[in-house]
Amino acid sequence: MAIPDNHQHGSWIGIDIGGTFTDFVVYASHSQSLQRFKILSTPSNPAEAVLEGLLQLPHQVSRHIVHGSTVATNAILERKGARTALITTKGFRDVLLIGRQDRPELYDLFPSIPPPLVPCEWTFEITERLDYEGNIVTPLNEIELDAIIEELKAQKIQSVAVSFLFSFVNPAHERWVTNRLRAEGFFVTASSEILPEFREYERTSTTVVNAYVSPVLDAYLGQLEREMASTEFHILQSNGGRLSVTQARGHGVRSILSGPAGGVVGARYLAGLAGFNRILTFDMGGTSTDVSLVHGDIHVTSEAEVGGCPIRVPVVDIHTVGSGGGSLATVDAGGNLRVGPQSAGANPGPVSYGRGGCIPTVTDAHVVLGRLPTDGFLGGKMALDRDAANRALDELSDHISLPTASGLESRHCLALGMIQIANAHMERALRVISVERGEDPREAVLVSFGGAGGLHACDLARSLAIPHVFIPPMAATLSALGMLAADVQLDYVHTVMLPNDTPFEMLEQQTKAMVKQSEEDLHREGVSPEQAVIIRTVDVRYIGQAFDLNVPLMPQFREEFDRVHQERYGYCQEDAPIEIVNVRVRAIGRVTPPSILKVPLGAADATAARGEERPVVVSQGIQGVPHYWGDRLRPGHEISGPAILVLDDTTVYIGPADHARIDSYLNILIQVGASND
Amino acid sequence: MTDPIRTEIMKHRLVSVAEEMGARLQRAAFSPNIKERCDFSCAVFDASGNLVAQAAHIPVHLGAMPLSVQACLESLSFAPGDVAIVNDPYRGGTHLPDITVVSPIFVEEESKPFLLGFVANRAHHADIGGMSAGSMPLSQEIFQEGLIIPPVKLMAGGKKNDDVWRLLMANVRTPEERSGDLQAQLAANHIGIARMQGMGARFGFQSLAADMDALLQYSERMTGRLIGQLPNGCYRFEDALDNDGFSPGPAVIRVSITIEGEHVTVDFSGTDRQRPGSINAVYPVTLSAVAYVFRCVLGLDIPANSGCLRPIHIIAPEGTLVNASRPAAVAAGNVETSQRIVDVLLGTLAQACPNRIPAASQGTMNNLTIGGWDQRNGRPFAYYETIGGGMGAGPHTDGASGRHSHMTNTLNTPVEALEYAYPFRIAQYALREGSGGKGQHQGGDGLIRTYQFLQPAEIVLLSDRRITKPYGLGGGEPGDPGRNTIKQSGAEKEVPGKCSLAVKAGDELIIETPGGGGYKKF
Repeated sequence: MAIPDNHQHGSWIGIDIGGTFTDFVVYASHSQSLQRFKILSTPSNPAEAVLEGLLQLPHQVSRHIVHGSTVATNAILERKGARTALITTKGFRDVLLIGRQDRPELYDLFPSIPPPLVPCEWTFEITERLDYEGNIVTPLNEIELDAIIEELKAQKIQSVAVSFLFSFVNPAHERWVTNRLRAEGFFVTASSEILPEFREYERTSTTVVNAYVSPVLDAYLGQLEREMASTEFHILQSNGGRLSVTQARGHGVRSILSGPAGGVVGARYLAGLAGFNRILTFDMGGTSTDVSLVHGDIHVTSEAEVGGCPIRVPVVDIHTVGSGGGSLATVDAGGNLRVGPQSAGANPGPVSYGRGGCIPTVTDAHVVLGRLPTDGFLGGKMALDRDAANRALDELSDHISLPTASGLESRHCLALGMIQIANAHMERALRVISVERGEDPREAVLVSFGGAGGLHACDLARSLAIPHVFIPPMAATLSALGMLAADVQLDYVHTVMLPNDTPFEMLEQQTKAMVKQSEEDLHREGVSPEQAVIIRTVDVRYIGQAFDLNVPLMPQFREEFDRVHQERYGYCQEDAPIEIVNVRVRAIGRVTPPSILKVPLGAADATAARGEERPVVVSQGIQGVPHYWGDRLRPGHEISGPAILVLDDTTVYIGPADHARIDSYLNILIQVGASND
Repeated sequence: MTDPIRTEIMKHRLVSVAEEMGARLQRAAFSPNIKERCDFSCAVFDASGNLVAQAAHIPVHLGAMPLSVQACLESLSFAPGDVAIVNDPYRGGTHLPDITVVSPIFVEEESKPFLLGFVANRAHHADIGGMSAGSMPLSQEIFQEGLIIPPVKLMAGGKKNDDVWRLLMANVRTPEERSGDLQAQLAANHIGIARMQGMGARFGFQSLAADMDALLQYSERMTGRLIGQLPNGCYRFEDALDNDGFSPGPAVIRVSITIEGEHVTVDFSGTDRQRPGSINAVYPVTLSAVAYVFRCVLGLDIPANSGCLRPIHIIAPEGTLVNASRPAAVAAGNVETSQRIVDVLLGTLAQACPNRIPAASQGTMNNLTIGGWDQRNGRPFAYYETIGGGMGAGPHTDGASGRHSHMTNTLNTPVEALEYAYPFRIAQYALREGSGGKGQHQGGDGLIRTYQFLQPAEIVLLSDRRITKPYGLGGGEPGDPGRNTIKQSGAEKEVPGKCSLAVKAGDELIIETPGGGGYKKF
């Protein structure tokens, strides 16, 4: 059986369900053609928009769908998951309520702490206890389970999470309880199955999240399968890899946050085609901005949190800040100009949308500066009201003492300031994702694909000394494309807590069971052994440390750990004893992504795409700036700033010192000048 | 008038320096206390030692860090590559385990060295020597609490000062861990210096210095305007700590707060004299508590800096609980008295602006230190933790249960992490139901944590609100006081809030933490 391959099997459809639109990217393998379109989302039942979109496609014998679903994430945010119970070790029923005993905001005297997914009355304790080596301190009191089962039935519980202390060392007690519950017909998630890793709160939370969302995800997938027979469904997971529905349904926690992951996978794929393997993704939308790091591989983290619930499965490391095109500008009590985090949202939206907004937003600042053409927004489908934007900024500038610049009106100075402040927020986010992770942004390319990003990308790159900005042509549906480019990917972890002198062979031995499991799971995904890549790693720390570093499992892993520690933290202790915390296995089935047409480069002269010159505020003055129309740009075209590029889904501002080139895939590659002038 | 756009941008840039230092420190540090519990703070200072930006880490370090930097400035002269270390509570410190590392930021301008400012970070070390493992002892003078480090150079001209380093390591129980943590603190300052130098090169050193000043002025202006929204008047309140662990009777803190336009005077006159036990707070602790309270009450959503404190005048008579004189013991002043100072300040302000103030939270950190000799690996161990409790209810909300409140926000150590590392077991970790004060809005419940000892160990407890109760407001009932119990050979016995104990294998310690106060009569 061969790997499901975009080239061999009928049509492949990537679907990304967003809050407003559900995006479709369709790849027909016989013609190697890509088609994309959008349908209005149906938040109350996301499957409706998916089915409606699929109806618009010609019926084919063989259809494969990869889709990222917000079903699991929304179930948590809206607290609309399955009726879920939790069974813990005696003495620890409040594990979710106590969490890590901290409060979310230091200086809030009235903190609001999201309630746990499982209410107190559905949390049960059972007498049992293991020590840290897995020895039985208190045997499992099997009788107690009878009363619990009775209560679960009386309460019409659908899903049960079981999480006992030290079950990752010795799962016997958890397994016994799980088997009993399954025999009674409950959907059960055992912590030792979903996340055999130490730290009871985070493991229990992950287990409960899985128990809470899986039945909801299962119902949703069931509906799709019933209505679309002869279609093979895959899910994009939060780690950026795809997984078949059969394996995904019991592991709902793995599909949380998969939507944003699709964008990163798509960005990595398109930037990779163009020869860039170190990228910072920059997805600026209306209310917030997502950034992430790719250095060959997508940077993943195990420290994600959704709706107040930590989840410890690998998740694409996406950092979000509350800064977007809709961020509101205000003056604070100290007289500073603030931008965000309050946002005009989609409704009423920016003042220039003319839907009743009256506080100026970042988008309005661009309109005032002439950088966002009033007639080219959303492909010309929506006219923007510049006069209204001007009035809103004038009004605000009356309340703030602005420095003046010759040739500019105060509303222009205010607009420039608003953009700089929004950039300061996003610069901070990009530093978190790069510098704080030990990566130098100057060696990366900034890949911008959000609707509002094109107007900020060059300035932002300049602030961080990033030399190039990359804007893919399918920015708005990049996430759906990413679904089709995603490899099959499965992650496994097991806490071992082994001492300094553990021989390499013993660690290898420790990974055997996981490797075997991963090979079976890959086989179920249709991945043949020769297409499989198995990567084994270990989490290592110096004894006494509380965090660990992940290094490849190899005979010299100790030396590698010291090296990485030195690189990341500026020191290492070659003589200090270490301990091996976790062993990890990542199993990858490489997928051939859809091929994208490469067009030979033509002439550099972009006159054919050039429209009129319009007045635009360029850092310190107003000048006539040429506008270029995206649909007329051809590979090879070169454009020196200042210029405005009007694309279907975004507008790009190219500063006076910047220079853009269209590559053979129709990507816009901008060389960023050192100074603004 | 400062440039409202540039100041806003520089605010973000400067606080991101402090945050990057924090990320580095947390990741690189050794002890769970710093890494898992985030008991540290990082900040940027101007050339005069004014705090310009601090990352939001631990409130108890809020006002105190600048005093450490100023103490270093007074006693040392700095050259490029120097790093100072200090923990002396009588020279800008808070209590001995909090070690502050201060580095000057030198830049070259027109080929002359120019002092742009300082970066500093403070971290709570799990042990700094003294009479008890964990250095949070039941002490009667500061010399029992551990090694006192006046401002000295840990690095000089970029080289490690080995003499100081060796002296330090010879005085602590777990030198490898101390060494790792100090290395991490150095690494944090290192990245802070590099960031500040990079920013200086980009924006110009003189104008960066001017930006720092503008940020201080802005913060002062904002704080003043927000104070101006409070009703003028003079308000008074008092509350007490149970005792000091040695001499009987409560230790009373009294305060009056006078609000006059955009200025506030906080006057602690009338507060009890300092005590033999370690509940004495040095002035930087009091300053931090005041800074914390006004930050919360004013809703000050800007990075903490020295400007925020300028409109606030503090009178703290020397030799009292809130401004102790050498050689008073201070270990619990930082962790316990600081909480009561907050209770007193909030109780006072509740009269001025009742809608903004909750009833009292647990009012203690329930400090527990367990030390001894781990027979499993033949090494000494020292474990320190603090335990959350109930938070006070507000005019519109119930209090949160099982949380750290006010001057600390450190994480708990996971039971599974703890049992790997130390020879004891946690038998129960649960909410203490019904311990929150009743009212229209309920106070949060405290916690119960039960320790089972597998080997002999030495325990020190520094906890409060075992006798006095967290107050309710508007007729709400107070929260239940906490309780410490020891179970030895089957017999259960309540033990005082502040005590040291020797335990054997098989003994159990049960700590029940206080509930928060209720709001409005039920």
